[in-house]
Amino acid sequence: MVQRTSTMRLLGIALLLSLPAPIIIVAGASFNGGGYIQFPPDSYSLRWYVETFTDPRWPRAFAVSLGIAAATAVIISAVNFMAAYYVVRYAPRIASALELAIFSPLFFPHAAMGVAMVAMVGQFGLLGTAPGIILAHLVITLPFSYRPIHIAMRSIDPDLIRAANVMGASEWQALRDIVLPLCRSGILTSLLFAGIISFDEVTVTMFLIGPNITTLPVQIFSFVQDSASPVLAAISTISVLVTFVAVMLLDRFAGLTFFVRRDAA
Amino acid sequence: MITQEKSSPGTVLLILPVLVLLVLFFGSVIHLFSNGFYDDGEFSTRYFRQIVNRSDYHMVFLRTVVSSLVVAVLSVVLAYPIALLLWRADRWRNTLLIVVLVPWLVSLVVRTYGWIVLLGPRGVINEFLAWLGIIESPVKLMFNDLGIIIGLTHVLVPFAVISILASLLEIESNLEEASGILGASAFQTFRHIVWPLSLPGAFTALMVIYLACIGAIVTPILLGGMTHNFVGSQIYQEVMYTFNMSKAAAWSICLLGLSFVSLLLLKSIERRLLKGRN
Repeated sequence: MVQRTSTMRLLGIALLLSLPAPIIIVAGASFNGGGYIQFPPDSYSLRWYVETFTDPRWPRAFAVSLGIAAATAVIISAVNFMAAYYVVRYAPRIASALELAIFSPLFFPHAAMGVAMVAMVGQFGLLGTAPGIILAHLVITLPFSYRPIHIAMRSIDPDLIRAANVMGASEWQALRDIVLPLCRSGILTSLLFAGIISFDEVTVTMFLIGPNITTLPVQIFSFVQDSASPVLAAISTISVLVTFVAVMLLDRFAGLTFFVRRDAA
Repeated sequence: MITQEKSSPGTVLLILPVLVLLVLFFGSVIHLFSNGFYDDGEFSTRYFRQIVNRSDYHMVFLRTVVSSLVVAVLSVVLAYPIALLLWRADRWRNTLLIVVLVPWLVSLVVRTYGWIVLLGPRGVINEFLAWLGIIESPVKLMFNDLGIIIGLTHVLVPFAVISILASLLEIESNLEEASGILGASAFQTFRHIVWPLSLPGAFTALMVIYLACIGAIVTPILLGGMTHNFVGSQIYQEVMYTFNMSKAAAWSICLLGLSFVSLLLLKSIERRLLKGRN
């Protein structure tokens, strides 16, 4: 029996290590000195990183993605904070109906979502613009951002607010000095989670780009189809690094347990 | 925080932004349906009839459904040992969780690119096999269904790990202890306690992964090429290359219908299996 357990454990370790393996191989290949993808590299150099930064298209797509991710994260967290505050404090009766609506985009296959978002963004004449992409990203990140904020809001002890009110605090003061600080980890989770999703989104976004704007993942997608340049390995590594840093920030400031809890929001 | 207050009229403004987003989303769904049934300005079921009649289109749907089922089952099976490892690793759980979360959150296109580097005709795997002298000419590992299934499975295993682990973490530790004290072997405890209690997480993973697969575009295009179409890659081509929004909308409606029917079927299977246990 001990043997069976340790076999299972070894299998688990092997499978776990296989998850980041392709990313690590790409990162390794990005330091290759030769003119093609090679792993393990036969010589080491930073030439592909230099090339990535001298081609203006990559820094531009990177900046666009970062900007869109930041805007999406801030807007959707604010929207969901207000909604969760309203529901928990003033209208608990509509909580489950609202959740059903907020989680419904999750059941939409991404390809259908892409076509639906073209219709939505096109209606406002925003196809191929940053606001159009942000609008679609708001819809996509809505459920992921609502959940952590709502969980945090729900777990605040109502007596704290009552006490504040009795002591003469205004609604606004109670919100600023009690609710906001107690929702801190929920808001941080929402900001970083929504930011990561937006920064890495490709399936829906590629329907919405235009001649003047493209995001980093979409540009990687179009380059991969007709080029084998190691520049792709370098830019991929940079994109992985951004996600990695965001996950570490999440771990440091909010903890990762949110991802492994089962209670629906 | 249940201090239900009388809301002053102004507070309703708080929920307005989220309602605007929801109206936009549901509006786009209605728009999608009207696009799918209109062609050249009049009502038409032309593209739906095309899907029903053309056998090459049946093939696209069949490939999508079968591959997605294979990927969903494979992902859950491969995720189990990882989830159990994380569950047992109390002190290291957080570190190991990062090893699962980072690949899950890294862009789909980057992870798929990683598999091109591995599976391509001059890729790492082929070069390695040639170096070992096992093969003389490159083996075709991508631009076929195998490549799509490998790529999608690798992309989705992390989600299955997270979902199963969430179920495992809900098991109360004294349940396991009690089972041990009552003389059950580790395997019996696993079979009668851990395994059944992990099933809800496994089923959630199965459904979510299936849904993610039937709507996939990027991985099927990059690893399957243009000859091994998924429903998603077909939709992408209609929008980006032939600019036929009506056809793309009709396909999207069929995809939605497919996911809805599949979800109902999977749900009823889940209910039957879980009930049979009790």
